[in-house]
Amino acid sequence: MAQKVLYPIYQLGNPQLRIFRTNFFMTLVRPGKEQPPDTVQFRIPLEMTKCDVKNYLEKIYNVPVGPVRTRIQYGTNKKRNHLNQRVKRPDYKVAYVQLAQQQTFLFPNVFPKKDVAHEPGSMDEIQDKFLEDERQRQKPDPRRGGITDWFGF
Amino acid sequence: MAATSAGRVAVLCRNFQKGLTLCNTTCSNQNNFFHRTQLRFFHPRVSASNFFPSLVEQCRALHSSHSRRGLEEFFDDPKNWGEQHVKSGAPWSAKQLRTKSNEDLHKLWYVLLKENNMLLTLEQESKRQAVPMPSPERLKKVERSMKRLDSVVNERTEALRLLQTGVKNERPGEWRRNCLGQAIWYKFKEHPIPWYMNRRYKKKQFFALPFVNFFTQLNLEKHLRIRNRKRRAEKEEKLKLQKFSKATA
Repeated sequence: MAQKVLYPIYQLGNPQLRIFRTNFFMTLVRPGKEQPPDTVQFRIPLEMTKCDVKNYLEKIYNVPVGPVRTRIQYGTNKKRNHLNQRVKRPDYKVAYVQLAQQQTFLFPNVFPKKDVAHEPGSMDEIQDKFLEDERQRQKPDPRRGGITDWFGF
Repeated sequence: MAATSAGRVAVLCRNFQKGLTLCNTTCSNQNNFFHRTQLRFFHPRVSASNFFPSLVEQCRALHSSHSRRGLEEFFDDPKNWGEQHVKSGAPWSAKQLRTKSNEDLHKLWYVLLKENNMLLTLEQESKRQAVPMPSPERLKKVERSMKRLDSVVNERTEALRLLQTGVKNERPGEWRRNCLGQAIWYKFKEHPIPWYMNRRYKKKQFFALPFVNFFTQLNLEKHLRIRNRKRRAEKEEKLKLQKFSKATA
């Protein structure tokens, strides 16, 4: 495990540290501000370093990695609970990874609209029909030609 | 035979005729099988439909090389995108994991790690778009599997350590008394210099002065009182239950 492990103290000339069975988790997120096409944004644990990110992506995911930039996002503590105490949201680190070898990345649409066909006679279908009817009823009468309904007899 | 097969292909798709003639000229003297393999190499789609349908299907299930999907591994299979429920199996139990070799466990750890990363990405994206995450129970399943895998690996390392060194703890330590007279488990740490040269270590106190004895006594009394109170409460509860059961019976 990468966290909670006591490594031997480093003395000059010692071999590089190797991590077996890392328990760092990286979350690929859609960038809030627009990024260049070769930049990928991740949320990573606070203990992770730039070198860790580079090694992680190159060794586990086989992704060519260029420069990596990181920052720490302060989790807000503006929220109050029912006892009017401050509630802290956890901090996290954000890594901006630039891909090497002219690779580009675009965050895909993971939730595309799909037509859900309910089986006839099921509860979902009845509900859909009801909602459709309600919507129809809410619409103004087309024969009135756009005149408001408080006008007239 | 070679000519007929080549002709058949040419009729089927004229677009590849150029390539066919090239192949014919290069390997006209070779035997039929080699010719066919060459064809397959040049136009895999044509050969898949005409020559070796069964062979290709067999080969499809077998992958000797590892997948190189890169960052796409952070996302689910595109078939599952937009679905409300995604099917998933049970988490790995410790019993199942104990039958696996160390190498397999190591590989499985990284499979689970990637799966977890994928699910975390999906969760974050669903939060962002304010839609329910499809099958959120998968996160828990992966977490449980990883926890069990970790425990199994720890079991093995502990057993190995016991065999090789006879030491139970991963990190050596001993019971010591702090300045308040309480017993604490002191974990040993590596130091670049011996302890008698370490000024910071020598400042630490691992004994209690005699004036602390009184407070140690009080502490012990407190501990005993709490313990006895708990025991008495348990006993009374038991008696009450017995009375109640007698009254109802």
